Amino acid sequence: MKPFDIVIVGGGGAGLYAAMEAMKTNPALNIAVLSKVYPNRSHTSAAQGGANAALGNKAKDDTVEMHIFDTIKGGDYLADQDAVNVLCTEAPKIIRELENMGTPWSRMEDNTIAQRPFGGATLPRCCYCSDKTGHTILQTLYEQCLKKGVIFFNEYFALKLSVSGSRSKGLIAMNMKTGRIEAFAAKTVILATGGYAKMYWNRSSNAAGNTGDGQAIAYRAGIPMKDMEFVQFHPTGLRKSGLLITEGARGEGGYLLNKDGERFMARYAKEKMELGPRDLVSRSIETEILQGRGFDSPAGTYIHLDLTHLGSDLIKSRLPQIREMSMQFEGVDPIEEPIPIRPTAHYSMGGIDTDNFGRTVMDGVYAAGECGCVSVHGANRLGGNSLLDILVFGRIAGHTAAEEAGKFAPGMISEAELAEQYDAIRSGMHSSGRYERYGELREELGQTLALNVGIYRESSLLQKGIADIAELKERFKKVRVIDTSDVFNTNLIQVLELKNMLDLAETVAAGAFARQESRGSHTRTDFPVRDDANWHKHTLATMVNGNVTLGEKPVTMGRYELQERTY
Amino acid sequence: MMASIDQHKEGKKDVTFRVFRFNPQVDSKPYFDDYTIPVERGVTVLRSLNYIKEHIDGSVSFRAFCQAGICGSCGMRVNGLSQLACTTQVWDVLAKSREPEVIKVEPLRNLPLIKDLIVDMDPLVDKMKHYSNWVDSIMPEAQMGKKEFLISEEEFLRYDKATDCILCASCVSECSILRANKEYVSPAVLLKSYRMNVDSRDSLHDHRLAALVQDHGVWDCTHCYRCQESCVKSIPIMDAIHGIREDAIECRGKKDTSGSKHAEAFMSDIEKKGKLVEATLPIRTNGVVWTLQNLLPMAMKMIMKRRTPPPPPLVKSAKGIKVFREMFREMTEHVKQDHKSHKK
Ligand SMILES: Cc1cc2nc3c(=O)[nH]c(=O)nc-3n(C[C@H](O)[C@H](O)[C@H](O)COP(=O)(O)OP(=O)(O)OC[C@H]3O[C@@H](n4cnc5c(N)ncnc54)[C@H](O)[C@@H]3O)c2cc1C
Ligand code: SF4
Ligand code: SF4
Ligand code: FES
Repeated sequence: MKPFDIVIVGGGGAGLYAAMEAMKTNPALNIAVLSKVYPNRSHTSAAQGGANAALGNKAKDDTVEMHIFDTIKGGDYLADQDAVNVLCTEAPKIIRELENMGTPWSRMEDNTIAQRPFGGATLPRCCYCSDKTGHTILQTLYEQCLKKGVIFFNEYFALKLSVSGSRSKGLIAMNMKTGRIEAFAAKTVILATGGYAKMYWNRSSNAAGNTGDGQAIAYRAGIPMKDMEFVQFHPTGLRKSGLLITEGARGEGGYLLNKDGERFMARYAKEKMELGPRDLVSRSIETEILQGRGFDSPAGTYIHLDLTHLGSDLIKSRLPQIREMSMQFEGVDPIEEPIPIRPTAHYSMGGIDTDNFGRTVMDGVYAAGECGCVSVHGANRLGGNSLLDILVFGRIAGHTAAEEAGKFAPGMISEAELAEQYDAIRSGMHSSGRYERYGELREELGQTLALNVGIYRESSLLQKGIADIAELKERFKKVRVIDTSDVFNTNLIQVLELKNMLDLAETVAAGAFARQESRGSHTRTDFPVRDDANWHKHTLATMVNGNVTLGEKPVTMGRYELQERTY
Repeated sequence: MMASIDQHKEGKKDVTFRVFRFNPQVDSKPYFDDYTIPVERGVTVLRSLNYIKEHIDGSVSFRAFCQAGICGSCGMRVNGLSQLACTTQVWDVLAKSREPEVIKVEPLRNLPLIKDLIVDMDPLVDKMKHYSNWVDSIMPEAQMGKKEFLISEEEFLRYDKATDCILCASCVSECSILRANKEYVSPAVLLKSYRMNVDSRDSLHDHRLAALVQDHGVWDCTHCYRCQESCVKSIPIMDAIHGIREDAIECRGKKDTSGSKHAEAFMSDIEKKGKLVEATLPIRTNGVVWTLQNLLPMAMKMIMKRRTPPPPPLVKSAKGIKVFREMFREMTEHVKQDHKSHKK
């Protein structure tokens, strides 16, 4: 295969927008998109609620400036303010652009794009297409990429960056259909592989493949990870599966009730009530549960999300997917009874450290979407800001890579390097004697993370978490791949994904242990307040000799001074 | 995962999953493996397969991703019917199972087999490309991002349901024409084509329609309704197929193919005279079956829409006219019911 100008890893919203923009920037470039699932299956499709943009369709007095402030405040002042400016300023433009190219949106009475209220936003500015916004955006982007003739390598699993000195030569990936290890020599690589919150396993709302592959690949190549300790727990996961009931349900007027039938949010966020920011609502629910005001059940303690007062018509027209999911996965029809819910690991604020143009510290390597961390979400992402992030910064990364591809000589990846990668992968298939089951390890990883590196964190718990992860990494060495075939070896893929989650879990726990304060989604019961004097900074986790080493990076401030965050 | 499956004592039974196996590297032909596991009420087919893979046989291969019925990865045939493994409850399947406590799991049909329950989706993607399943905006790229198109909720509702499609290929697997002709456009692609064609922002309507009325296109559909009945998102796919056909007739003259010419004659006859006149029926040239399959359902729908009285029974007897009458009656019923269910 001849070298590519740009290889994009990931066919979610970030990867596809990057591909489109790169083609637009320079149609002569040779661009490939690799994805371990068909692009339309990417996790972007799961986003139900919507994407924020100060269009002012619903609230005429909404402004970009208010969106900026809400985002900075929501992120507990850890977001870089110049990056937030870009995010919110580009928002109306990119939503209109999507609309102009054919994305379906629900509509207001005056035929403009419909908007609804969303957590942490002063005014209703979340643009939506009933409760399938991510799905329709992803469909549109995929369709547009097909139209433009983007070259897709579907069901290719990225394994590693091939690095020479301070720069990347391209990517090594496995063709899942044949099991062959293939080289993608490239001038530039954009990593857009989505989030890592699936490491919490069945206490997570994420797809099975949100295992942080791109981050792990970059991390092992020596690229720093930023703010990994910030994992957002969504307040309303279904009790049994962790699957998500969108914030849209509360946006439309749903109540959170404890077992005494009390709308307990009155105690935690008097004004915003159920529409307080996610971290606050999650903590409130967890507190209710810890203080014995939850409902007990064999599948865990939970509280109620009550929609019954909204009426059957509204639920059917505005929240049909939610109704379907409650019925399929909990056996509950929200028209008739409240939905059993509890917080679920949902979004990774942390990720590959990039500048505002998507560049990482390694020449020729860029990152975007949930995989990257520009940082626009700081310590806590606002609902509806992530779809926006992947679109805006996916586009920027695509543009930057297209402009800079010419700067780099094409890489060359040797046969020897491919063979070495092949052997490394195959070695796990023939281990003898006692071996470990990957399924058990995965499960245990999720449990220790939820318990010790979860919503409420504390020194001794975190130490336990760190020790558990180290032990799991040791045991991982004995994991056996049972399926020894080449064709579509999903067993092998799942083992490789587990390896990625284990490597990243270490950075999450290390960051959480180091950060001795409470900020945004990171709550230390032993350090309950925000400590701006010592901790108003990003953490950077870098792999040095196989171990995590922590560093730091200042937060870029701007117009907004540090303030206490109250709702 | 099994810990929770084991927890409840109530409502648990041993279920045998009879799984289709085929590894092209070693097997000359497919076979079935039986796995018997304890399953509790409330567990899905996908969770059962995950359990089998993690605890019994790591080599059982299938796709799954979101586990929430939104990504479309896990389409497979469960006791013969194409559906999503992640939203299908084991107990629901057992309730209708012919063999007690046995669930047969097979790959989707009509797409090339890769391994076990995994089929190749590329042919479907190729068809999406062939039929331009994208909006080609009337707005030049350089203009984009400045102003919204103003679209009524009414227009949005025209394609709202169609955009629910998650490309799981269940309908593709159930399509009766695809079994015989792999080149047939496919129900999901017809659905997507329709969605694009009713979008006022799109500029490719005529081009797309021209492709749709060619061989292997919209006129090949037999109106068997199987796609619609099996759609995992309950999308009224037949509305899209009818819609494209009506559209093709209304745009007649632009793109004349034998299908649309006959359809044109047939339709105008009904429209003008409110009855079927044997002489102008396309039965002679195309045969009874073609006419019934291709034109009657649409005719019925148009009649219902315009409140034209239904055509009187045919007076002259022609070859096959008895069959024709019988099917005509059935079709009328079908269309009526169909109409009712869509209004819900
Ligand atoms: C249930 C749920 C609801 C949400 N709702 C909202 C919402 O309402 N509003 C909002 O703004 N945000 C929402 N989010 C967050 C948002 O959906 C995600 O942050 C966003 O879609 C991530 O997009 P992405 O392009 O970065 O990654 P993804 O869409 O996750 O795509 C990742 C891509 O990378 C590929 N990939 C991964 N690993 C590899 C590998 N090793 N090799 C090759 N390819 C690989 C995958 O195949 C995939 O194509 C929600 C998230 C969840 C989980
Ligand atoms: S109605 Fe047409 S498209 Fe649908 S399954 Fe039957 S033949 Fe296929
Ligand atoms: S139309 Fe329905 S069954 Fe067919 S691919 Fe789409 S969602 Fe699946
Ligand atoms: S796993 Fe996504 S639809 Fe079943």
